Amino acid sequence: MSKNFLTIALPKGKLLENSVQLLTQTGIDCGFVEEDSRKLMFDLPGSDARIIICRPTDIPTYVEYGAADIGFVGKDTVVEQNLDVAELVDLKFGYCRFVVAMPEETKPPKLGDGSYDLNFLNHKRAATKFPRVAQMFFSERGMQVTPVKLHGNIELAPRVGLAEMIIDIVSTGTTLRQNHLVEIAPIMEATTRMIANRVAYRIKYERIQGLADTIREIIK
Amino acid sequence: MERSSQGLKLPEGMRDLLPAELAWLEVLEGKAIQICKNWSYQKAATPGLEYRACVEPDANKDDSLYKFFDRNGRIVALRPEFTTPIARMVAARYKGGLFPLRFCYSGDVYRNDASRYREFRQVGVELVGSGSDIADAEVIALAVEIMKVLEIRNFQLSLGHNGIFSGLAQEMNFNPKLREELEDGIARKDMVKLESIISQSELPDNAKELLLLLPHLTGKEEVLDQFKGWNHVPAIRRAVESLRTIYVYLKDFGVQDYVTLDLGILRGFSYYTGAIFEGYLPGIGIPVIDGGRYDNLYSDFGMNLPATGFAVNLGIMSGQLSDFEVEKVDILVYGQSPGAVIKRCRELRKGGKKVEMALGFVTDTDAKNLASGKGIAEVERVEVR
Repeated sequence: MSKNFLTIALPKGKLLENSVQLLTQTGIDCGFVEEDSRKLMFDLPGSDARIIICRPTDIPTYVEYGAADIGFVGKDTVVEQNLDVAELVDLKFGYCRFVVAMPEETKPPKLGDGSYDLNFLNHKRAATKFPRVAQMFFSERGMQVTPVKLHGNIELAPRVGLAEMIIDIVSTGTTLRQNHLVEIAPIMEATTRMIANRVAYRIKYERIQGLADTIREIIK
Repeated sequence: MERSSQGLKLPEGMRDLLPAELAWLEVLEGKAIQICKNWSYQKAATPGLEYRACVEPDANKDDSLYKFFDRNGRIVALRPEFTTPIARMVAARYKGGLFPLRFCYSGDVYRNDASRYREFRQVGVELVGSGSDIADAEVIALAVEIMKVLEIRNFQLSLGHNGIFSGLAQEMNFNPKLREELEDGIARKDMVKLESIISQSELPDNAKELLLLLPHLTGKEEVLDQFKGWNHVPAIRRAVESLRTIYVYLKDFGVQDYVTLDLGILRGFSYYTGAIFEGYLPGIGIPVIDGGRYDNLYSDFGMNLPATGFAVNLGIMSGQLSDFEVEKVDILVYGQSPGAVIKRCRELRKGGKKVEMALGFVTDTDAKNLASGKGIAEVERVEVR
């Protein structure tokens, strides 16, 4: 393994295809990397690198420990995991928004400026896959809302009384509409980021920064 | 009394060191401390518990301290590092001391955060009372020598300077909002955020350029040429001159090859005031050495003293490097008469042997098996005469 050998962590799921495409454009020959093959590790001898496929939420962990030198992952996951990694480039794809949403019939009244009265949410519960993001949003506003951590199908929670609202990422809003949920407040926007281990970024600076610069040129 | 099942568990982040691991750690520790002593750093120890007020980095921020109440209801904390306790010790005990003072230390520090180990062994030094570049060079060279004596290959030391960032902050009079945003971006190493706040700030273009360039300035002394346009800012000029001088001294110390200049070590508005450095090992995701100049810390303790130093995270390195065996016992002594066995053991130990005594009589075969199982080279049966 050369000093500049790179282990690249890519997220399985909807970001994988874009990630592979982008890496291929930078000259890393990895077009054959795909999720269906059940393979989790792909050696790229021609590029002095390898790719590992991870669950998106695990990518910051692989990178923080240095098991992967760099990773592609949504900003939403970076914020939620809150680990010690360097965030190098906004890759611009995988756009989504974090929102608070509630069932149409229980939505809070609106204020004079047209926004919903968030006071109404106090002492209620919010189902979410992102409890840290939820907690930050509410506590910064001095609100008292209890996040309830779930691992999927968040939309179900308000329908059966587990929580009054949900906090989730939306890209088109279709899921919200199908479940008769309306957006109450935006929390943040997120796109995919290239992250790096802080030590690898310094030891392999030229290789990693070179890749970051190439990517920046491509997505310009 | 029967201990509950809880009695077998350890609090999160804690671990035992079994003899082989501990022996290895102590070998590394011994070598590191010996080098420090050769460089005239005297070993000191501060207590495990300090008042929170002494060790907490910033009263308004979350910290990672283990905190307790003492009997008077005051908050005490397990030491998270040694630099601040040593500053307290010097301020309390070395008024009128013969400065510069050189201390080294070795001990466990405690961090109540989700990192891998919440208790780990640090070895480090503090050089107190000198603000000169040669003092910085000395501790950096010592850090390299420690890595060399520990036979750690492939390590890299990166040297930066906090004065460039803080000098610029002062010169440009960053407003509180910008300071806060920058601080957050630096703490998270979020280059995307840093770039966007710097570009959108109202700073003049040359300041923006410099801030954006800092994380990418890494290499040998030629990276310092990038600061040519900033000679009019005294803090930046001083920082650059001082890095240049330190780098030359490092050549005199014979360690320059191990050291890369890297202005991308960002510590923002921390207590570091001058040259800062980090040591890296491939495969370990966090720096194994952290150090730098901190000229304002002592004034918190009522003494105006410049100081510099570093800490080596020995715990994480020993875990990575270990493949070590405990020292073997030389001889197993057994026999029918306890008195005679004890007597023989005393003789052998006086002669410098490591001796294990069989407690109670064992047969010759048992003794042989026991010895080979434990890796004891010899057995001796004591006969009663």
